[in-house]
Amino acid sequence: MGPRSPRRYAFIADAVSGGMAFEPEELSPEEVTEQVDSVIEDNEVVLFMKGNELMPQCGYSKKALALLQQHRDDIETVDVLKATDAYREALERHSGRETIPQTFVDGEFIGGSDILEQLDERGELAQKVGQ
Amino acid sequence: MDEDAVAELIEEALPEAQATVTTPRDPDDDKHYAVRVVSPVFEGESLVDQHQLVHDALGDHLTRDIHAIELTTLTPAEAE
Repeated sequence: MGPRSPRRYAFIADAVSGGMAFEPEELSPEEVTEQVDSVIEDNEVVLFMKGNELMPQCGYSKKALALLQQHRDDIETVDVLKATDAYREALERHSGRETIPQTFVDGEFIGGSDILEQLDERGELAQKVGQ
Repeated sequence: MDEDAVAELIEEALPEAQATVTTPRDPDDDKHYAVRVVSPVFEGESLVDQHQLVHDALGDHLTRDIHAIELTTLTPAEAE
């Protein structure tokens, strides 16, 4: 047990419980990858955004959230600001892009805020998000 | 990175593309761009794939020196 062991211990505890880290700003890239994979798999509609539902931290995230909320009230949101670079990398493996926000429906990447807006204008967003 | 540089990257990467780049917020804002791209390469592609082509053209600039683009992609027929 060296001086670094307490931190190592906390990391293992998080990985085992599958829960969020005690201190979100210390999410490791591995934890982020794991969280991104499972949240996309386990939820019908997921929005990766800057900030949270109550306080979006970017106009584009805010717009994407508002467009989705017109059609669904069960959107799972993930705040990427906890570990932005790690989230960009993890998301890139799913969508091929690193920009935030990103929306997934049934595991499939459907777009950032511009595509949501364009789908909404075409009247296709409701169908796309499954309701 | 200015508007012309953004347009140039896109036009170099996509066949027969015409890119119009503006700054919707503030003329001196070099972080947020509105980008309208017309190219025959978008024909038959989904919106996600159309946007992906433009994102690929911009590469790392999109997360490094550009905060965001408001992107509109159109085929020549849609642009008329």
